Amino acid sequence: MSRTFAIRLFAGILLLTGSWIAYTQNTGKQPPQLTLNKVKDDLYEIEGDGGNVAVYITNEGVILIDDKFDQDHDQILEKVKSVTNQPIKYILSTHYHADHSGGNAKFLPTAEIISTANARTNIEKHIQSNAPPGVMPAKVVFTTESAVFLGGKEVRARYFGRGHTNGDAMMYFPALRTLHTGDMMAGTSPLIDYPGGGSVVEWTKTLDAVMNSGWDFDTVIPGHGPVTTKANLMTYRNNVEKLRTRAASVIREGKSMDELGKVMTAEFGWMPGSLQFQWSLPGMMTELK
Amino acid sequence: MRKTLLVRFSTAVLVSVGVWVAYTQTPQSPPNKIEKLKDDLYVIIGNGGNVAVYVTGEGVILIDDKFEPDFPDIMAKVKSVTNQPIKYVLNTHHHGDHTGGNAKFLPSAEIISHANARANIIQGKQPGPPRVVFSQETAVFLGSKEVRARHFGRGHTNGDAMIYFPALRTIHTGDLMAGTSPLIDYGGGGSVVDWTKTLDGVMNSGWDFDTVIPGHGPVAKKADLLAYRNNIEKLRNRVSGLIREGKPKDDVAKVLTAEFGWDPKGLQMQRGFEGLFTELGR
Repeated sequence: MSRTFAIRLFAGILLLTGSWIAYTQNTGKQPPQLTLNKVKDDLYEIEGDGGNVAVYITNEGVILIDDKFDQDHDQILEKVKSVTNQPIKYILSTHYHADHSGGNAKFLPTAEIISTANARTNIEKHIQSNAPPGVMPAKVVFTTESAVFLGGKEVRARYFGRGHTNGDAMMYFPALRTLHTGDMMAGTSPLIDYPGGGSVVEWTKTLDAVMNSGWDFDTVIPGHGPVTTKANLMTYRNNVEKLRTRAASVIREGKSMDELGKVMTAEFGWMPGSLQFQWSLPGMMTELK
Repeated sequence: MRKTLLVRFSTAVLVSVGVWVAYTQTPQSPPNKIEKLKDDLYVIIGNGGNVAVYVTGEGVILIDDKFEPDFPDIMAKVKSVTNQPIKYVLNTHHHGDHTGGNAKFLPSAEIISHANARANIIQGKQPGPPRVVFSQETAVFLGSKEVRARHFGRGHTNGDAMIYFPALRTIHTGDLMAGTSPLIDYGGGGSVVDWTKTLDGVMNSGWDFDTVIPGHGPVAKKADLLAYRNNIEKLRNRVSGLIREGKPKDDVAKVLTAEFGWDPKGLQMQRGFEGLFTELGR
């Protein structure tokens, strides 16, 4: 009896502690601090809490790439205000995930938001299992390529094929030789969102396509993590290929998904229970069979 | 001194006459009228290209915006059917009778065109280049309604978009259908060879439509668009045949006038004639 009580008490404390941690991390009342870094002339990026936001300043307004979570809206405005008085006129979305498109609802009344057609469809269908409610899609969509011209400057958005999702756009600042990859490059190892149409087989082809597109760039803003170089994007691409080859051989040996998970953890740093485990492993078992 | 005065006087007279001529030739009170086509879809027919007006609960989407002087009349015609503001203008191509109002609409509306249409506007130093372009297909979602614009290939120019209203089974062809016989703007990247392929492209696109708003002229049916397409093929074959027979250019021009109604001094001759020999002369 006494032992059962002790266990129950212990479990109760654990639960409370867990709830408290979850609460403090998810309240949305105190979103993590964002940092703004200068990338090149008139181009900045905002890191922290969600995907990297690119800020391109023109004398007719500001063009953003992505808008993080809904809770980051005020901080994004504040960061932009710290470098220009121009209003935010356009937001180009790299893909549908709430850490990149979560700010749409608050920006839509004053800015034109543009995404791929598939990114819009995925938001409308609530494909992202862990997305908060209320993520709004872009009003203007494109299938292959779009561009925005503002204040004598240009930003291009192109869909090069599937990878992270089925609606990833990469963004190009021709005058600054800079690329924003969205989550086609993010962290050290890919998150393949199979429910959102992602593909590890197409991912390398999609990155090859941007490499061979004629877009002339030296600087790469990844979806998450510090600003990097074209050479590092190539390294990232090769790592995706290595992962795919390794996973395919494990699957073709008849190994289970659990066993594949262990290999991904040991060799590619995938954490058990992570989104990579939830969204990528089952799809890989099918795609690489 | 006297001579200077005379020169000044003559100059003033000349300028006055010039202004008057420009004034009378620039349409001042265009004979536009607005017609209801289907639920929430209207067409403004008259001066310049046909303007489609799609009314939604969050604003109005226009297809094309005629000439610059038509701007106040377009605003008035739209106001006569809705209080919603004009939020989007989709351009079917770069010509001034379809994009002339762009500069006036740009401060308050998003204008979207094909990338080549914008490039042609810039090259022609026309006012009001769109800020947003697309290469293959784009769509605007407003007030739960959708309008699609797709580039199916060359034809009238190298940057023609056809526009689709899925809920209303209606397309706007821009000048890929206009009048009775094609104006091939070779200087703007047009092609009589690709034109029929481009129209086949929309026919086989999966776009389900029965009603066709042409670039100019009365609203038509899908069958009329097919007849228009076949007439282009006929024109192309006829001219190809004459060129292969080695007929002089004057003879070809006479056939185009007699059999296809091309005005000897019209834009079809000015922009579409010489290019036919280059494109079909192999």
